[in-house]
Amino acid sequence: MLDEAPQLLVALEQSAFASAIRQSTWAYMTANVGHILALMLFISSVAIMDARLLGAFAATPPAGVVRPARRCAALGLLLMALTGSMLFSAEATHVATNPVFQIKASLIGLGVLNAVLAGRLLGSALDRTPAFMPLPKSVRACAMLSLSIWFATAACGRLIAYF
Amino acid sequence: MRKTLVLLGLALAIPTAVLAHHGWGSYDAANPITVQGPIETLKYENPHAQITVKTPAKVWIVTLAPTSRMQIRGAPAEFLAVGKTVSAYGYPSTVEKDEMRAERITIDGKTIELR
Repeated sequence: MLDEAPQLLVALEQSAFASAIRQSTWAYMTANVGHILALMLFISSVAIMDARLLGAFAATPPAGVVRPARRCAALGLLLMALTGSMLFSAEATHVATNPVFQIKASLIGLGVLNAVLAGRLLGSALDRTPAFMPLPKSVRACAMLSLSIWFATAACGRLIAYF
Repeated sequence: MRKTLVLLGLALAIPTAVLAHHGWGSYDAANPITVQGPIETLKYENPHAQITVKTPAKVWIVTLAPTSRMQIRGAPAEFLAVGKTVSAYGYPSTVEKDEMRAERITIDGKTIELR
């Protein structure tokens, strides 16, 4: 597997898709800007969602905040995956071997796992919890972890260029 | 438990492979060099254009700027045609052997700033 991975990356980097991104004046730039805009949508939605889970905006029942915020976060994540895979394929071999990218990829995995876990723990409590009632402690812990993971992920994203 | 998982994830992600060349961070700005010679190959691509330059000692990989910036500054692909003589002032990579990042290049008496 370890021996196969680099060849896979070389193949990706040499693919017509990746070459087109590198050779176009606009594609890489557009993906880069799109990645940041998607990040803004994602991180703002996540922050609102997690803040509500932690007890902010308590006058609004959690379902009224968490559900729409979660949809926006999912859209943001999808757009980041699309633009991110363009940026990644253009420089697959270098990016994949970058230690900061490796940390970032692990953090994304953890963040998604944590979000799934938070959803499970929240379950029907989302609709049953009225305004001003704190959510379960386990859910609040996930929200705290979510904020930490995603901000760290964003920091790693920017730091790839410096290591 | 969750903390353990985070730490485990970070531990697994500890660097095992080579570093990428990208940004200005991995170049030795304290030791600028000038590489001069004919352009052997040109990759006019994003995120950074790259040329190889033959010098008596070795062939240097010279990393330039994004293609959009190169065009705006007056360095389209034709400006960097293979065979032309280039003088590139910049910094050697601290990670990649024989690679440098150019601060500015001079071709046909015309100097282009790349940062």
